[in-house]
Amino acid sequence: MGCFFSKKSRRKCPDREPALSDIEEDATNNIPATSTEVNATALSTNNTEEAPKQYSWDKRPKVDPKDFMLTGLKDVTVGRLPGKLNGQQFVIQECENCCIYVFDHSATITIDDCVNCRIVLGPVKGSVFFRDCKDIKCVVACQQFRTRDCKKMEVFLCCATQPIIESSTGMKFACYQYYYPDVAFHFKDAGLSIFNNNWSNIHDFTPVSGETNWSLLPEDVAVLDHLPLPDSESEFKSIRISTEVARSIVPLTKGNRRKGSDETCLFVFFAGDYTTANARKLIDEATAKGFPLVQTKEVSMRPEDVQRVFGANTESLIEWIAKGAVVALEFNGDGVVEACRNIASDVFSGTKVFVSENKDTASRDVDNFFNFADMQMGL
Amino acid sequence: MGLLSILRKLKSAPEEEVRILLLGLDNGGKTTLLKHLASEDITHITPTQGFNIKCVQSKGFKLNVWDIGGQRKIRPYWRNYFENTDVLIYVIDSADRKRFEETGEELAELLDEEKLSGVPVLIFANKQDLLTAAPASDIAEGLNLHTIRDRVWQIQACSAFTGEGVQDGMNWVCKNVTAKKK
Repeated sequence: MGCFFSKKSRRKCPDREPALSDIEEDATNNIPATSTEVNATALSTNNTEEAPKQYSWDKRPKVDPKDFMLTGLKDVTVGRLPGKLNGQQFVIQECENCCIYVFDHSATITIDDCVNCRIVLGPVKGSVFFRDCKDIKCVVACQQFRTRDCKKMEVFLCCATQPIIESSTGMKFACYQYYYPDVAFHFKDAGLSIFNNNWSNIHDFTPVSGETNWSLLPEDVAVLDHLPLPDSESEFKSIRISTEVARSIVPLTKGNRRKGSDETCLFVFFAGDYTTANARKLIDEATAKGFPLVQTKEVSMRPEDVQRVFGANTESLIEWIAKGAVVALEFNGDGVVEACRNIASDVFSGTKVFVSENKDTASRDVDNFFNFADMQMGL
Repeated sequence: MGLLSILRKLKSAPEEEVRILLLGLDNGGKTTLLKHLASEDITHITPTQGFNIKCVQSKGFKLNVWDIGGQRKIRPYWRNYFENTDVLIYVIDSADRKRFEETGEELAELLDEEKLSGVPVLIFANKQDLLTAAPASDIAEGLNLHTIRDRVWQIQACSAFTGEGVQDGMNWVCKNVTAKKK
């Protein structure tokens, strides 16, 4: 089998010319004129014939792929305004010295052969895959984050699963820190939770002994030092962006950064109309008191998970987990448990919550919950 | 279509294990396909670092589906999984045109492998739901599939994400597995 796509195929194939004897001519020599022919002949095998079948992709209205690609641009500010992608795939390739802003949700994005670009990507339902890129600074929210053959990248990341890099060096990561007015809707449209962010634990497929291909950006990094706002004359001038920590749609988490204290606390909100707003309020209250947010998770629980995760005598919580996904937060600091319990009674007295009882049980709560969440969300 | 119904459609002998191997480049959709076959949630899938396996058993019939990570660095390990494969499913991201050459080369090498000789191959032209997806016919042409002489093969357009086309591909698998079994 020779490979037509391959410039140098290693496969020994005596007859490169398509053999016309055992298959219909249409399949090999002619590009089918209509989509119905595609499935009728080209999908035939070397045994039986199949009846032609139409799939949804044969019937959908044709769209110009160029509207969803940025290719070969240099020294420009470019991208897409809200509503322009509407969940479609997007492709960025061979751009240099550009500022690229994609302010909409998409299915998947590949970024190939780009150099010295600043890229902001709206929430992506599937994967974001950087290949052969260099000197990139970006803001990304996605289900999967992948790189191959990349060099010198700074990534402000919200990733629902473990990010991976391959044959890449000089990769630096920080927690997603961005806001634009429609971003909350775009997260929902992309099926992403602002509370599920594995930004700091990267898997490297090509580790090098004695070196690290990736590291974390300093905790006090200012996004604007790395990614400028869009030019005030550009089509994005009306988008009210914020890069402030407090306004970020994704809460800032310490992730795997070193923690200041051994004391930790688990705080869980059960499903309800105001869960997200409540979580944000808690984060504001706790961080104002000097207790940083370590990690968060939004995950569904089943009745059988309750006792295992929350400990003995927690059957009363079973009816609460049935209402929907819970949002769990881990805070850190000396005195954090007492502080969280006070916040729970002062601010959330009317809301169903779980808060660690004391310092000693708190570490166990955190381990039980987040181990459970990792299991749920892994394969 | 779940794994169990695939198992029931296979005409293998009881106590014989049918082994399906899922290969393809990284980011192709292999794990999504596997999860779909297992009727599991596909909205939270992580890049495969080693491999995933799903096994079903029914009335003495056994089916194992192996989904192996496709990063360039770990493709040399694919050969560890070749032995006793009854059907190869090769998954292609139809919307990743930049890597058509690469995926063609990997497929060509697989079809050259001694331990996979004669094994039926189903090529899933996946991600047809995406905008820039090339039609299966283009992919078949680019891969020169019609020059495959030493085994039965089929190319099937699909979207593992929506499930469309997957059952059609698996129906072909069920029909053709017995041809290979000794």
